[in-house]
Amino acid sequence: MQNTTTVPSRHLPSRTLGALALAGALLLPPVAHASEAREPSEAYRQVCAHCHAPDKAVGPEITIAFPEAAWEARGNYIRNTVRHGRAAMPAFRAAKISDPELEALIQALVSGELDDAPVADASNSEE
Amino acid sequence: MSTTQRILPKGVSEADFDAALVRFREILGADSVLTESDQLAAYSKIMMAGDDADYIPSAALLPTTTEQVQEIVRTCNQYKVPIWTISTGKNLGYGSAAPGETGQVMLDLHRMNRILDVDPDVCTALLEPGVTYQQLYDYIKEHDLKLWLDPPAPSAIAGPVGNTLDRGVGYTPYGEHFMFQCGMEVVLANGEVIRTGMGGIENSSSWQVFKWGYGPYIDGLFTQSNYGIVTKMGLWLMPEPPAYRPFIIQYQDPEDIEEIVDVLRPLRIAQIIPNAVVIVHTLWDAGTHVVRKDYYEGSDSIPREAIERIKADEGIGEWNVYAALYGTPEQIEVNWKIVEQAFGASGKAKIMHGEEAEKRGGGFEYRSALMKGDMNLQEFGLYNWRGGGGSMWFAPVSQAKGSETKDQTELAQQILGKYGFDYVAEYIVGWRDMHHVIDLLYNRQDPEETQRAHDCFAELIDEFAKRGYGLYRTNTEFMEQVAGTFGEPLREVHKTLKNALDPNGILSPGKSGIRQ
Repeated sequence: MQNTTTVPSRHLPSRTLGALALAGALLLPPVAHASEAREPSEAYRQVCAHCHAPDKAVGPEITIAFPEAAWEARGNYIRNTVRHGRAAMPAFRAAKISDPELEALIQALVSGELDDAPVADASNSEE
Repeated sequence: MSTTQRILPKGVSEADFDAALVRFREILGADSVLTESDQLAAYSKIMMAGDDADYIPSAALLPTTTEQVQEIVRTCNQYKVPIWTISTGKNLGYGSAAPGETGQVMLDLHRMNRILDVDPDVCTALLEPGVTYQQLYDYIKEHDLKLWLDPPAPSAIAGPVGNTLDRGVGYTPYGEHFMFQCGMEVVLANGEVIRTGMGGIENSSSWQVFKWGYGPYIDGLFTQSNYGIVTKMGLWLMPEPPAYRPFIIQYQDPEDIEEIVDVLRPLRIAQIIPNAVVIVHTLWDAGTHVVRKDYYEGSDSIPREAIERIKADEGIGEWNVYAALYGTPEQIEVNWKIVEQAFGASGKAKIMHGEEAEKRGGGFEYRSALMKGDMNLQEFGLYNWRGGGGSMWFAPVSQAKGSETKDQTELAQQILGKYGFDYVAEYIVGWRDMHHVIDLLYNRQDPEETQRAHDCFAELIDEFAKRGYGLYRTNTEFMEQVAGTFGEPLREVHKTLKNALDPNGILSPGKSGIRQ
């Protein structure tokens, strides 16, 4: 089957208990994200990296560290761009990324903390 | 600040608006009622060729529960406050998160983002409107469920509920989203809640598996409409197939579109190729990763000579067909032979899969991801093609017949050319239909170019309608005009329903051209 991705079988022979545990997934409690602040790396992975990761090259790279003296100015620029949008950059509302999440994200971006953040989405890894 | 500068909903007095805001704060808490201009700025960013001043909200409400939505609607009725509902607000070329007109209050459902149920046995989900594809994708991976999503191109940041309600499409076999919706919870304008399909039966176990329920089927009334606010929606998910083979077929001549569609149609109708195939023109395929000025600096539409250089440099065709096969490896081998035979007959097609297709570059990687429902925003690269953040999707429907496709392509190129814009387009092949999707890309920083884009879009709507081609969806700037192309008797029916279900006209006035 060269050139065809074969997905591993979902059947788990002699692992009936495992299968039952999987079926239990439908009883999982709802996931309420509204009140849970995401870590900067998680917000970056979910929202920003799809366009801004260097291998995507849709938007400019934003994880490059700035000198500390420029953090405030750079932070203001990022905050403004996120909330207002700019040309092709969509605007992101507080309902999408809360003020505390955005502030933490800005801090992580300007300080270079996310410089080597994992950019690949889980989807890009081999199944 | 002087009170005269304050933006109020149309026909609502300042006193009534203030009273409504007090009530909204009681319902939601002060933090979830936004009225400051810096809080509202994100709602005003648009990519369509409209005047910024026409799309400024007066406030934004951020509920987290259905009960809150009911209370909001009751308050709106009391004070006649119009609300414009959005979920994730990322239908960028169709109006983004902006209100339908200045003064409306945004009902922003993005914080209603609970995944209420995912059933891996019957492959269904029950979601709130604020859930994004990325969020659902992460949930599925986290719980190791073998289920695939069908996102549209802005996958990660858009969501299934809003996209389905606007009758959007994706690229897997589940590409026609409304077909795979099952069961809704809807807050009506009078504050009542209904559940469609089997949902009206208390403790129903079949709400997400049987679409039709009993009596008239009404789910469609809540798509592209302003008859209710959908607060929960059921969705069918595709089981992960044992094997998957994405492939690309390239053709080099403009007129080849005719052969492509006529070869493709029977394969698609018979489900040999089961997914929503795309037939992508050069400028779209290149536009996701190439910028226009590298090939042409002029402000008129890009000439044929430049298109030929792009094709040669990028190794892409005039038309690039992206499709995929799904199933067991054996099924895929059988269907692959049928595809090769059908497209190989004329000798014009270059058919590639696997390493050969990957090496070819272009859009193959991101198309392969989309056709298996993975998160990907590569298509936003199109916004760099001309730059300046202007984008309007012109999307007339065509039947899957080569002759019609040739006619539509020529007509679009002629009108776009007249206004100096490029034909950046693809056909998304449904079952027997196609969405001819053209991204009218322009520089929104340039007022003259923005006006030209506006005029061009208006002419496209009218000229296509004259030839019998209607749009499946449009942006808020042109909803009125597009509604007109479908005839006044239909609009009267829409209006009759509006008056019956929302007599005060508070829900998204103007959506799809529907008002009291």
